[in-house]
Amino acid sequence: MKTIFIKKSINKRRLITALIITSILGTVTILESCNKLVEDPTSVVVSTQFYKTQSDAIAAVNAVYNTLNASPGDFPMYGRQLNLLTDNASDNHNFSPSNTNPDVRAMGTVTYVSSNGRILKNWQQHYFGINRANIAIDNIALIDASQFSNAALKDRLINEAKFIRGLLYFNLVRLFGDVPLALHNPTSTDLRSIQVPRTSKDSVYAQIIQDLKDATNLPKSYSGSDIGRITSGAAHSLLAKVYVTRRQWSNALTELQAVLNGGYNYALIPNFKDVFQKATKNGVEHIFSVQFNGNGGEANSVQYLSSSFTSFNTGTFPIDIISDSSVVKIFADDDTRKAVTFYTTQYNPANGQTVVFNNPYTPYLNKFVDYSVTPLNSQNLSSINFPVIRFAEILLLQAEVLNEINGGPTAEAYTAINQVRHRANVPELTKGLNQAAFRDSVFLERRKEFIQEGQRWFDLVRKGGNSLVDALHKIAAKSAASPKDTLFPIPLTEIQLNPLLKQNPGWE
Amino acid sequence: MKKHFRNGVWFLLLFPILTFAQQTPEPLINSTLTGTIIDSRAKTPLDGATVHIKGTTHEVLTDSKGKFSFRTGQKLPFTLLINYVGYQPLEIIVNDPVVTITLQESQTQLNEVVVVGYGTQRKSDISGSVASVPKNVLSQPTASFDNLLQGAVSGVSVTQSSGQPGSTATIRVRGGNSISFGNDPLYVIDGFIVYNNNSYTNSGATSGATVNALSTINPSDIESIEVLKDASATAIYGSRGANGVVLITTKRGKKGRDEISYSGYYGVQQATNKKKLLNASQWASLVNDINISDNVPKTYTDSAIAALGEGYDWQSAGLRDGAIQNHELSFSGGDDKTRYLVSGNYFNQEGIVLNTGFKRYSGRVNYERNLSDRFKISVNIFGSSSTQDETSNANGPAFATLLQTVPLVPIKNADGSYNTNNPYISVPTNPLQDITATTNRSYITRTLGNFSAEYKILQDLKLKISAGADLINTKQNYYAPSYTTAGYTPQGYGSVGNIKATTWLNENTLTYDHIFGNDHFLNVIVGYTTQSGNDESSVASAQKFPNDLTTYNSLGSASTPLLASSNAHSWTLNSWLARASYSYKHKYNATISARADGSSVLGTNNKWGYFPSIGLSWNISEEDFLKSNNTISNLKLRLSAGQTGNSGVPPYSSLSTLAPVNYYFGNPLTLVTGIAPTQLANPDLKWETTTQYNAGIDLSIIRNRVNFSVDAYYKKTTDLLLNVPFPVYTGYVNIVKNVGSVENKGFEFSINSENIKTQNFVWRSTLVFAKNLNKVLSLGPGILNFFPTAPIGQQSPVIVQTGLPVGTFWGYTTDGLLTGEDIAKGTPLLTGVPQQEGDRKYVPINGHTSVTNADKHELGNAQPKFTFGFSNNISWKKFDLSFLLQGSYGNKIFNQYQQLLEKPTLSLNASATLLDRWSASNPNGTVPRATNSPVPQIIDRYVEDGSYLRLKNISLGYSLPQSVLSRIRIKQVRVYVSAQNLFTITSYTGFDPEVNFYDGDNTKQGIDMGLYPSVKNFTAGLNVTF
Repeated sequence: MKTIFIKKSINKRRLITALIITSILGTVTILESCNKLVEDPTSVVVSTQFYKTQSDAIAAVNAVYNTLNASPGDFPMYGRQLNLLTDNASDNHNFSPSNTNPDVRAMGTVTYVSSNGRILKNWQQHYFGINRANIAIDNIALIDASQFSNAALKDRLINEAKFIRGLLYFNLVRLFGDVPLALHNPTSTDLRSIQVPRTSKDSVYAQIIQDLKDATNLPKSYSGSDIGRITSGAAHSLLAKVYVTRRQWSNALTELQAVLNGGYNYALIPNFKDVFQKATKNGVEHIFSVQFNGNGGEANSVQYLSSSFTSFNTGTFPIDIISDSSVVKIFADDDTRKAVTFYTTQYNPANGQTVVFNNPYTPYLNKFVDYSVTPLNSQNLSSINFPVIRFAEILLLQAEVLNEINGGPTAEAYTAINQVRHRANVPELTKGLNQAAFRDSVFLERRKEFIQEGQRWFDLVRKGGNSLVDALHKIAAKSAASPKDTLFPIPLTEIQLNPLLKQNPGWE
Repeated sequence: MKKHFRNGVWFLLLFPILTFAQQTPEPLINSTLTGTIIDSRAKTPLDGATVHIKGTTHEVLTDSKGKFSFRTGQKLPFTLLINYVGYQPLEIIVNDPVVTITLQESQTQLNEVVVVGYGTQRKSDISGSVASVPKNVLSQPTASFDNLLQGAVSGVSVTQSSGQPGSTATIRVRGGNSISFGNDPLYVIDGFIVYNNNSYTNSGATSGATVNALSTINPSDIESIEVLKDASATAIYGSRGANGVVLITTKRGKKGRDEISYSGYYGVQQATNKKKLLNASQWASLVNDINISDNVPKTYTDSAIAALGEGYDWQSAGLRDGAIQNHELSFSGGDDKTRYLVSGNYFNQEGIVLNTGFKRYSGRVNYERNLSDRFKISVNIFGSSSTQDETSNANGPAFATLLQTVPLVPIKNADGSYNTNNPYISVPTNPLQDITATTNRSYITRTLGNFSAEYKILQDLKLKISAGADLINTKQNYYAPSYTTAGYTPQGYGSVGNIKATTWLNENTLTYDHIFGNDHFLNVIVGYTTQSGNDESSVASAQKFPNDLTTYNSLGSASTPLLASSNAHSWTLNSWLARASYSYKHKYNATISARADGSSVLGTNNKWGYFPSIGLSWNISEEDFLKSNNTISNLKLRLSAGQTGNSGVPPYSSLSTLAPVNYYFGNPLTLVTGIAPTQLANPDLKWETTTQYNAGIDLSIIRNRVNFSVDAYYKKTTDLLLNVPFPVYTGYVNIVKNVGSVENKGFEFSINSENIKTQNFVWRSTLVFAKNLNKVLSLGPGILNFFPTAPIGQQSPVIVQTGLPVGTFWGYTTDGLLTGEDIAKGTPLLTGVPQQEGDRKYVPINGHTSVTNADKHELGNAQPKFTFGFSNNISWKKFDLSFLLQGSYGNKIFNQYQQLLEKPTLSLNASATLLDRWSASNPNGTVPRATNSPVPQIIDRYVEDGSYLRLKNISLGYSLPQSVLSRIRIKQVRVYVSAQNLFTITSYTGFDPEVNFYDGDNTKQGIDMGLYPSVKNFTAGLNVTF
């Protein structure tokens, strides 16, 4: 049992009261004045703080390059995403049994529809890069020249961004035809104010050519820590390819001559295998490559094309496979490109055994397998660059352009194509071909040379006529191909959000 | 600036110590009084009743025998005021120095007090919808208190994300209002506002399900849980009230004798079911059938198949009987001036999957002291240290992967070591070893302390100031040794992560509580509060370890460091709040409340939001025409309307932020950093507004033995904080904007009845039922629908579409298998995949002649048609039995794991359902013919009915009788046995119909990835009070 007595202590109470009131007032006042609602982030940069210095400008341009090799949580644009359209949807590749995504499989069988997620991803990744280029171009221009260590650097950075913008629009205009031409970061989040129609192909090309012409002011080469950046040679080369695509043959020739005679010293790497090796990356043949590095540990540099080898276990399948044996049969047996392009065996250094892969999907694709990694089946650590333009293509473009300009192949045209053939250890091209036959030979050479390099679908469309559909119909799995396939559908959600966009013919 | 604030808090915290120096002078004694207070019917003593001499400050408590005693300066006779919870207050004039006083149990619940936001209210005067969690539900064995809400309160649905100990649960009060951000209720623990943020316990270093931040709170500390559901009740929480508010009050000391209590239980847990998989010979036959489709020779001869037999049961090898135990010791007591409770808790739950579990140590001090009769201070401090071991998701959910291991492969070698010679996987590892050898652990330390001081400025005017902090420190470790699947390629992969998250809260309220005349009851509260939080996190990872000895504790010994990351956020919420409750004779009641919230996370143009509400109620039973009614003891009509908000976007959502990205240049290649835009500025970003209307009726009949409560509501959430798709050509895929609206409407009821009550036998039941209809009304201009992002290589099985509920599944309808006849007559086929007899028959819509993406449509949704809970308490003499049946009806689950298990491959085991596959010899098979790795399409087959009825908990206890107790001088002893999840009736074929893999993402509800089997347990426990 407890008994409690309470006696008030007046003095104590006063003291307490005084203390409380003081502390209340103190606390409230402090809180009122301190807990401001304005956000002042310390972990992220806000755009108003940025684009002020040289290093900001460099970082802004690096971010543009980043869109070429990285897309967190998805395939990188160069390194698989684009290949799903330009190779899987061509007569070179098909889907692999390891592809679980129906959208990926639909690319292989040319049964994709406008809601295909892989088409949307390509559209998205290209415009990501374009937007970053737009931001870099617009904002670097506003940075005071005094911020830069040398006067040329500011222009160089802008022109690097312009090249990538040009490259990405060039891809888009070939994949989709007319596309929205965005040249600035949006200033509004209001849907209505940013809905735009498609810009005509001609206007898009005009912008591409302008951007690439500006990029021809870039340095001829880089040294040290800048190797891998875009050169004026790359700009001339891509410009040549744009003109070829536009069938502006003499403009194309001018650009090709700038590449060939401009003192760049581009050449073919003697051994075709070394075009796709870590140790020989950024060599004399590589005019512009997307850089991959597997040893930095960064998860964002994953070269998925290297996953055409993933296991010594014959029960598992690589990420991409050939369409059928016809793509292998185009090669002569002693064509050195054949063994570089395909494999049927893998030597396992861990146990000294050689595994033979023999099933309806073999041979498997080989170019991007990184033989420098250990263990060999950890191919997500691949360091194989993706060549966007290499010198072999310049030679083949030269052969093609000369053939078109002169109504038939010239000796120079033969020399150009035969350089590529020499390296591949195949005989010189038959003399005396007419224009059409020579043209076919160039396209066939391009197919052999560039398997897995994101060229085939573009080439088939560029060749014109029914080339694409005819080629696809030769593959049993691609019987669904039809003339509408010469352009990919504008992604469905993009049209839903922006009804001013009209769908491509046949895809409505 | 923040430092000043903290100094202020420290000052307040230290303040009580200064005042302990009081001394009590000796009083004059004029009389003594002793007495006993007993229950009027049972004649049992009442322990802890307060006895107050009217007109004085003298107050004493009865002891465990109901006895009290006064030595007082007053002279007899005097008037005593006696109060005891659950009994009618008594005012009695005493003439004798020894008395026995009987108290009558409250006939009405009108005098019951209910905890509401920023105070308490007489239950009779409440206009809003407030539900209390029944007491017996609170004693279930569980790691985290959010599980206790399941089936206990109408209108609250709880879905455990998986059976993993310490895993998260999805809690929805009256459905989900938001699509992209914030659907969790607000938790208020002893007045401290906790907006549960599981990112404070997940740095990203580990791999697996989200660690539940609420599991750091010790459920056995909880005295009561109230759930505020309608706007009248929640609007006082303003911009965070839209998803309901869960008010938690922890146990505290009572006036009376000091008590020491121990409670503990120990039990075992088992998997409730296993997946039926193919055995070795069945799998070999499957391989042969794939060979037939591939047109290649069969791999196994008939005799080889027969010889394979059962093979190896990988599933069972990964499971164990897990122990679960909980021990709690508490000291509590109090006197006239001081109440205290000190408790310590140890909880340890082994997971039923090897190398998983959850362990927690926690302690609490609740202290309250009246420094004077005007001034009271209290401190609640809670601390806990938790450890969680999870299965890893690094190579797909580890347990799910285990089940897919080919049953031909031995689990262990003859010498007991793990067999890594598995010809069906890419790397020489063992999936069981992956589970046992991988470290995937989180340590969470949490301290939640709150100090408050209450001062009665006038008799009716009270000032309350509180200040507190919630500190969460999380450390996470991950290591995949070089001999595990995740560690093989990187040659050992280690990662550590840290998060330090701090939330500060200061609340200042003035309460005016006055009775005008005898009939007008007025309660007014106004206040200013400010809450701020900041979190800092970092993750470091490395690979290529020279050995597996030092693991994550020596990242420096690895030769390839990975890019480290760190992050920090801070936020502030400043608020003004006010509420006035008025009651006329407890008959007509009105409550008006309003809150103004200024939130830092919103756009500069819309920092402040205003949230008003009104609630009206009418106690019809207090009217003369019902007052004398013998059947109806209470009848009340409630109406409310109001607006609440949700500002659940992360900090910096309205700013145009940039983030680092990387590229390589140079020879050799070196990493360079780029800075890239991540989002567009949106200075107009504001809170979501939920407008809610509620009408309710409370009815009690037969002297309150049966209580009904019915509520109907309509909620419309507008200006959704929606992560809307944006035209991608702009360079942005999504932006967060205030567009679109969602509605939730429904009704809920609860019946609470005392079915039987005799001297020895009491049976009470509670039935709760809730139905909610959710619908997306709009997603903003130009957007009809969107698919939430699916993991790479998968298609989204869910869609968010106007006119449909959130969590709608989207895919193909199928109609059995294609027959030869179908092919012959040109039945529409799925494009993209060559189809033939024995393949799945997809059904086109709108008369399409082939089946494409355009033929996908709604396949049901994850929202239940209704949920219910039925709990019972039966006591007979000293025995007590309680059980809780609980369930959900009409919700669909996308059984993605079954989809995976039904994919025939040459390298993974598959579901036993494939035994009924079509083949030339089984032309009536129900499952498609075996082909090699067919595309896993989203089809109706895998959208399963998730309805279930479950015996969630059953418990049988025995309390020692008083006669024995008094002999051994113990106040109370109860022993019990209980079981959880003893049975579940469901047609769902996965581990457990209660599953939600993407628990943090409202758009991906009801997806099952086979993360963890569901668990039942049997426990035995003991409660002793000294």
